[in-house]
Amino acid sequence: MAQNDTLIKGWQPVIGLEVHVQLMTNTKLFSPAKNQFGEDANTLVDLIDLGLPGVLPVLNEGAMKQGIKFGLATNAKIAETMIFDRKNYFYPDLPKGYQITQLHYPIVRDGVVEVNGKKIRIHQAHLEEDAGKSMHDKYDDKSVIDLNRSGVPLLEIVSEPDIRSASEAVNYLKKIHQIITYLDISDGNMSQGSMRCDANVSIMKPEDKEFGTRAEIKNINSFKFVEKAINFEIKRQIKILEANGTVEQETRLYDSIKDETRSMRTKEFANDYRYFPCPDLVPTNITEELIESVKENMDELPEEKQDRFMNSYNLNEYDAGVICADKETANFFEKVVENADVQLAAKWIIGDLNALLNKHDMDLQESKIDAENFSELIQKITDNTISGKIAKEVLEEMWNTGAKVSEVIDSKGMQQISDAGELENIIEIILNENTDQVNAYKSGKDKLFGFFVGQVMKATQGKANPGLVNELLKKKLS
Amino acid sequence: MDKIELKNLLFLARISAKENEYPEIIKKLENTFELIDEMQDLDLSDLEPLNNPLELSNVTRIDKDKNRNDKKKFLDNSPESDEDYFNVPKIIE
Amino acid sequence: MNFKQQRDNFRAKKISAVEAVEESLRKIKDDQLNIFINHFEQEALSNARHIDNNFDDFIAKPLSGVPIAHKDIFCTEGLPTTCGSKMLENFIPPYDSTVVKNCLDAGSIMVAKTNMDEFAMGSSNETSYFGAVSNPWNHDLVPGGSSGGAAACVSANLTTISTGTDTGGSIRQPAALCGITGLKPTYGLVSRWGMIAFCSSMDQAGPFSRDAFGCAALLDAMASYDEKDSTSTKRQDTNFEESLSKNFGSLKVGVIKNIQELDISEDVINAYETSKTVLSGLGHKLVEVDFSELSSGICSYYVIAPAECSSNLSRFDGVKYGYRSKGEKDIANLYMNTRSDGFGDEVKKRILIGTHVLSAGFYDAYYLQAQKVRRMIKLKFENFFKDVDLIFMPTTLDQAFEKNRKSDDPNRMYKEDLLTIPANLAGLPAISFPNGFKNNLPIAGQLIGKYFAEDLLLNTTNKIQEVTDWHKMTP
Repeated sequence: MAQNDTLIKGWQPVIGLEVHVQLMTNTKLFSPAKNQFGEDANTLVDLIDLGLPGVLPVLNEGAMKQGIKFGLATNAKIAETMIFDRKNYFYPDLPKGYQITQLHYPIVRDGVVEVNGKKIRIHQAHLEEDAGKSMHDKYDDKSVIDLNRSGVPLLEIVSEPDIRSASEAVNYLKKIHQIITYLDISDGNMSQGSMRCDANVSIMKPEDKEFGTRAEIKNINSFKFVEKAINFEIKRQIKILEANGTVEQETRLYDSIKDETRSMRTKEFANDYRYFPCPDLVPTNITEELIESVKENMDELPEEKQDRFMNSYNLNEYDAGVICADKETANFFEKVVENADVQLAAKWIIGDLNALLNKHDMDLQESKIDAENFSELIQKITDNTISGKIAKEVLEEMWNTGAKVSEVIDSKGMQQISDAGELENIIEIILNENTDQVNAYKSGKDKLFGFFVGQVMKATQGKANPGLVNELLKKKLS
Repeated sequence: MDKIELKNLLFLARISAKENEYPEIIKKLENTFELIDEMQDLDLSDLEPLNNPLELSNVTRIDKDKNRNDKKKFLDNSPESDEDYFNVPKIIE
Repeated sequence: MNFKQQRDNFRAKKISAVEAVEESLRKIKDDQLNIFINHFEQEALSNARHIDNNFDDFIAKPLSGVPIAHKDIFCTEGLPTTCGSKMLENFIPPYDSTVVKNCLDAGSIMVAKTNMDEFAMGSSNETSYFGAVSNPWNHDLVPGGSSGGAAACVSANLTTISTGTDTGGSIRQPAALCGITGLKPTYGLVSRWGMIAFCSSMDQAGPFSRDAFGCAALLDAMASYDEKDSTSTKRQDTNFEESLSKNFGSLKVGVIKNIQELDISEDVINAYETSKTVLSGLGHKLVEVDFSELSSGICSYYVIAPAECSSNLSRFDGVKYGYRSKGEKDIANLYMNTRSDGFGDEVKKRILIGTHVLSAGFYDAYYLQAQKVRRMIKLKFENFFKDVDLIFMPTTLDQAFEKNRKSDDPNRMYKEDLLTIPANLAGLPAISFPNGFKNNLPIAGQLIGKYFAEDLLLNTTNKIQEVTDWHKMTP
């Protein structure tokens, strides 16, 4: 159970993550209201979401298929029969006074994801409805309720406590994020709440047989905070145990401003959720046929895409890995190479384009770069219209203004000079103007070759075709 | 059933009762428990529980939205609300 | 006058819908039995006028031109739906239940919503926030419950049809105590969309009328597959009214062996024995059936129904609709006071029982065990129905009883559901019809059929009613 490289002051952290993922479906889990983010309060509420007397839930098959996709992507067991249960508790943003979830018969069980070569097991993933939102800042004496989110389909992914460090937790989370965005299960946006993470943290001595008491940390809404919250909690628990105290089994909230976890107000009585099968719904038998049809319509997984890129495009593992790390980039690449050279495209995407995205902290989608235009850029390098050096300038312009490649090249007169005759004339002039260096070169100072190249470039404002310049210079100087 | 159990039960159900009403309530509940306890003698270990009497399965709906916006109707019909939200007394977390 | 006569009058243009409605409303306004919670003069007359003006569109509909009263458990858009509770005293649903919509489409005109036990919990219509209902046969007695108002309405001739719901007997028992015919359909035949939930896995809406004919026509209107209800079943194209004239031939009818061992009154047993003779006379074969093991159904019912209701009623929290306790400063008190004020004692009691039987530590012993008893009862019926087509038994243990009845046995009223509960647990269809009269009060018999055998139940009852007169008696 112990992983020596993750011990902290001799203690082994043990972490399990519960990730709630809002599914990308058209409608909510049990009502036909639109499933959308960011609309005006209480405008995406169906009778069913309001929990009016007499309303009844009907299962959204789209949500079920999303769950099956996740199960397939994580090599999990897909339930033969899945059953929905009621979890009973009172809260103003829970209109029915119960949440419909899955306790004993979840849609997916026993999956696994690989994170940096280590397998992290998924205990189960189950479907459940999201609650509405309660907000407390509008009035001094009142809170307000928005039920837009009430009924939105969630997939709750529960890992086994296989994670051993905060950074491993972040990597696991990123892997989950990759899977759900790749398969269009969710847009995985932590800041908008379409992906939420709770962490169960405990510590133990490496030689202990049993796990320590765990605390549940809630209110973590970014990858960065996941790492900070877990690290704080580990340190907090170590401090307690080293002082011979006991860690309480409780729920704690992460405060990102103070970077600490705080105990939630303890209730006088433990909450007994009194789960029982929801009598308004019936069991669902998931057939092999259904699973097959989901599989057929499923987009490739990251690993599959990477393999395919390596095979069809002859990319090396590293390049394929970087390009396939997110689906957007992979799709971008494929579009680009419809008409452009694969290796060159890969080089430019991994190098210059990625550098721009990182510098400006943007996603590909958010930038002004589109695949067709980028493809043209690569083509223009390949056919020697522009040099690699000039291409960098063109890319910069594309990034800033979104202008088309051909426009940029024309308007700035950036075409590469590849006419041998023209270049020979220029070389003639350069060599005539620098006879001393020519003689020095001919008597053995090989390094001066670069000087001549540089002079040609200067004379042509960098537009001379480097390869041709080399060739012609060599001829002239021999 | 003792007072603490009843107190817990009342809390779970969000129903209030005065302490001096507890004995009467406990008596009423225990009367019913006596009635339902009669089935404890039955050995039903080889039977599966029955939830839906007709044992239906696989009822789903196509993922298509109905595009209804009843915001005003719902809020107007509520005990307390403003233009945009349902209102409740301040919740302290 | 019965339903058929009323509908014939409309179809023959002897009486207009408006006239029928006016007549009904006159009686409703004079009602001393507290049968109604609300009535709707304007809407009903407007609706009736519409039907009269579009006579040709409605003439062939099953309920054409006939006034109807709906149990106040069915949501009616824009009109109050109280469920007999303070919690929903001023609740105006923004949508129609499928039952109400179906009946409207079938040409009926809703004149009023009937009184009922609060949230359908009770067997005497005494737990209603709006006061008890009186039995039309004897005003000191109860009409039964929870659909007491709906049964009394038809019994007292205020309408010829009404709708009720039956979870543990709440259609059949009031039908029996009021001397009319009432049917609980197979679970899932009638949509529960818009029907305020008490015990979701047993609630079923059904028809009341004087006779099988009225019930058949009303069931034709009410029953439909509804994709908004996950527990709804397909209808199999049966026309119940037409099925009344079919010839099902000689049937095997199960009758109770050792009826003397059950706590049933002499008068009810006598009526039962008479009915057996009638059944034989109609050519049916009587087969004895051992009913004793079905008595554990009461235990099972009084675990499952409170359990589901405790969850179904959690939505009544004063936040989104319905009653809210005024001036509460914190949310905890809002919940506590809203629910303590808004619910009556019987409802609170059942919520507490339900909460208890679902609690950690008690779930297996109570809820799970109750569901197994339910399985046992379903299997028992499956066994019975290998040998018989129908089962015949009394509906109630005794006739109508006095209001505020005191009893040494605190569980007496629960135990009196003995004969109706098994059909609810198993989801089977069952009909209650008058089969006797004693002490100036009606007595009833009950037929239980296989799943979706409503046509057989109605047909058999109809045949019985062709050769007996009990159903024609009026208070």
